[in-house]
Amino acid sequence: MTLWRHELRLLLRQRPSALALLLLALLTTAALATGMAEVARQRAAIAAIPAAQAEDIGAVADYVGRTKDAGSAAYYSFHPTWDAPAPLAFAALGMRDVAPYMLRVRALGLEAQIYDGDTFNPEVALPGRFDFAFVLVFLAPLFVIALFHDLQSGEREAGRQRTLDALPRGGAALWRRRTALRLALLWAALALPFAVTALAEGVTPGVILLVSGVILAYLLFWIALAALVGRLRWSSVANAATLAAAWLVLVLIVPTLGHVAINRAIPVAQGAEIALAQREAVNHAWDIPRAVTMRRFYATHPRWSDAPPLGTAFHYKWYLAFHQNGDDAVAARSRDYRAALERRDRAGRAFGWLLPSVGVQALLTRLARTDLSAQLAYQDRIRAFHARLRSFTMAMSSTTGRSAPPTSRARRASIITPGADPDAARSGHAAFARTDA
Amino acid sequence: MSTVRLIARDELRLMLRNRVALIAFALLVLLTLVAVASSWSHQRGVASLRDRHRHEAEHAFVAQPDRHPHRMVHYGHFIFRPLGPLAAFDPGVDAFTGNSMFLEGHRQNTANFGDVRQSALLIRFGQLTPAFVLQIVAPLLLVFLGFGGLARETERGTLPLLMLQGATRRQVVAGKLRALGTVALAAAAPAMLGLLVITGQPGALALPMLAIALGYLLYLGLWTVLILLVSALVRRSRDALLVLVALWAVTTVLLPRAVPDLASGAVPLRNRLQTDVAIARDLRKMGDSHNPDDPHFARFKQALLDRHHVTRVEDLPFNYKGLLAVEGERLTSALFDLYAAESFAAQERQIGLITAAGLLSPAIALRGLSMTAAGTDFAAHRRFLEQAEAYRYTLVQRLNRMQAEDVSYADDSATDAGADRRKRIGAAHWRTIPDFRFAAPTGSTLARAALPGLTLLSLWLVAACALLTLATRRLGARR
Repeated sequence: MTLWRHELRLLLRQRPSALALLLLALLTTAALATGMAEVARQRAAIAAIPAAQAEDIGAVADYVGRTKDAGSAAYYSFHPTWDAPAPLAFAALGMRDVAPYMLRVRALGLEAQIYDGDTFNPEVALPGRFDFAFVLVFLAPLFVIALFHDLQSGEREAGRQRTLDALPRGGAALWRRRTALRLALLWAALALPFAVTALAEGVTPGVILLVSGVILAYLLFWIALAALVGRLRWSSVANAATLAAAWLVLVLIVPTLGHVAINRAIPVAQGAEIALAQREAVNHAWDIPRAVTMRRFYATHPRWSDAPPLGTAFHYKWYLAFHQNGDDAVAARSRDYRAALERRDRAGRAFGWLLPSVGVQALLTRLARTDLSAQLAYQDRIRAFHARLRSFTMAMSSTTGRSAPPTSRARRASIITPGADPDAARSGHAAFARTDA
Repeated sequence: MSTVRLIARDELRLMLRNRVALIAFALLVLLTLVAVASSWSHQRGVASLRDRHRHEAEHAFVAQPDRHPHRMVHYGHFIFRPLGPLAAFDPGVDAFTGNSMFLEGHRQNTANFGDVRQSALLIRFGQLTPAFVLQIVAPLLLVFLGFGGLARETERGTLPLLMLQGATRRQVVAGKLRALGTVALAAAAPAMLGLLVITGQPGALALPMLAIALGYLLYLGLWTVLILLVSALVRRSRDALLVLVALWAVTTVLLPRAVPDLASGAVPLRNRLQTDVAIARDLRKMGDSHNPDDPHFARFKQALLDRHHVTRVEDLPFNYKGLLAVEGERLTSALFDLYAAESFAAQERQIGLITAAGLLSPAIALRGLSMTAAGTDFAAHRRFLEQAEAYRYTLVQRLNRMQAEDVSYADDSATDAGADRRKRIGAAHWRTIPDFRFAAPTGSTLARAALPGLTLLSLWLVAACALLTLATRRLGARR
């Protein structure tokens, strides 16, 4: 134990090493703080939805109450959906800054709504976020290099190596001790602030342990690389230059090459084509007999087929039907688009098995539910919500000729309340139960 | 002067003997070539794809059959943001902003389908472009080649020898500067060549290209001076390397990420949901076209009736519904402009904070200058959004006026079986509507916008040179 304490004293007496460790702890803390602030901002934005929505939908309900047409309720009311940040989101903000976490949808064609984004400053998003994942993936290796590049070569250059090797409990045991000590201190500078923040944010202990393990493994990778370079018995300067170059290649250059390669190997049909095709399909309905539209709609959605026939006047039942037909017309394209995105994402993850920097980033965003699969899962919840919204609206406007609008307060509230958060999605159709018996 | 050349030649010979340095340099050149090729082909691919989509959308618009004009208001138009040739050098925010936009009546849609959401994970590590190579990779190569330049001489005690042979400190420093400067020029050459090839394309602008070239040369010159400055101040070459790598990591990796995060925390943006709700609220206050008793629209109607000396809207010489649509669009669009201006102003404030951080990190200054001159920064995106909104407004109002003039009020209000046919106007009308053409900024506009960045980088260079002059005087002095 005294040997360890002695080594610690030796290490901390070198001012650059002590400063480096302190700086890493500070950077970690700062990154955790900005991550927490961003997540808090997102939570506050989500918490502000109900008030804004109540005001907005109240005005719509007022108007719909006057027109006595359920269809215009469908047309004018936008329903909020949101994707609350997972407890770990503060550590790896992932795509949450460029993909929306709140989206309002209405009962019309979903393919024209689901790809909409939120307001963000592209110049802020461009360099990436300063979060814990960044400190770990990009910066921590530089600290490993600072502490390890002269682990042996420094002693050799000072002319002490032979003496150290000859000492009892010197040699390999000494280098192991020094390596373990530096690793433990680096790990502590990263993992301790993280663990404290994660506990405060309610991350489960299992996940905290897992992330702590990932931190350890990533540090070990860089330490192993430093040891490998150290075996070449070059000078400290050459070691430092080689390791910094390796860092540049592994963290900055190869991921960008991988990005180019993957995007070329897996083309994604432009989403814009879905939008263009859906618009054609929807608007074409105005130029063909309405019966054709309704036949097509009833063929794919037989549960509504016993609704009363259309009159000559405009009816929202028809309007909603051709919006549904429009979505159905591009459903295959939309699935392909999504599948291609998933293929690209899988390729990026597979790349992560080869490249630790990418692997750690992929793992953290997956655990934090801020990656593409989390985005797609949110889109799935929006789709499920939209399907319920649609069938609710269809039921309202199709069973009667020009159906009664949701005049009662309770019934109006029933269209107002649903959200697409996981809980609402689990609660099934409860939000749409028609409560005005 | 020949002493300087001699020292420079000697230094270069030393670098050439260093195999690792040679390999690193070769790799940098290779990386630049790959970056130029991939970035250029990507830019051309994207530009031609958007051009094809644009053609499709324009064709689809004029191919629409006879319709009620309001149907065309909702059929709307798709427009695509064109990508200039200089984006092949520095694509800037292009991947982070949507590049297609659906324009329709009384709604302002977002620009969608940005690359960032289509290539999730790896894009956040950065994009391989000539700009990336020169901004981030090239300085580190210069550090590796130059950190020992002066520190080595002091460390090994060879500096006094040089001086005994009659070289002054100034000459030694100038020689090393010349050697490293030559390397910097050589490192920048492939990217600059790529820039030249890119600007050989039609539509490329000479002035912004010059601004970009000047900016990168200033930047690499600055690094050359900084490297020798640190090398002169520090006594051991290992310390010089560590200090320089730390300096590089902080200014090109850490600050460019941390500063935008702080800026976005300092200036909050109103999100889309709150914006939409606020616009709807303001609209209800200004005039609610759905409310028959709304004072604004009651006044609007009365003024129309008075002007034409009639008492009923049916007797107006045009379709009242069309005019109502014109007035409604006017109100909503005024609000769109108001809220967009507010959001743009907030984003400009964020960018102002980032630009100010160019005082702390030359990489931030260069990145801004490079995107600005290439026309791929936020201002360029804003230009597109504003032109899109202006086009949307004229498009919708043209269609609304067609409704007012070419559809009679009686037909427009009818609900009988044949009414749908009578409400439609000829498809020839759609051809009278001009297509969206993005008015690209002129070269001098872009170059002028890059001037502050160029000034900042020049100041950096002047300051670094002044410090190097001071350090030169005390070079090799015992401390």
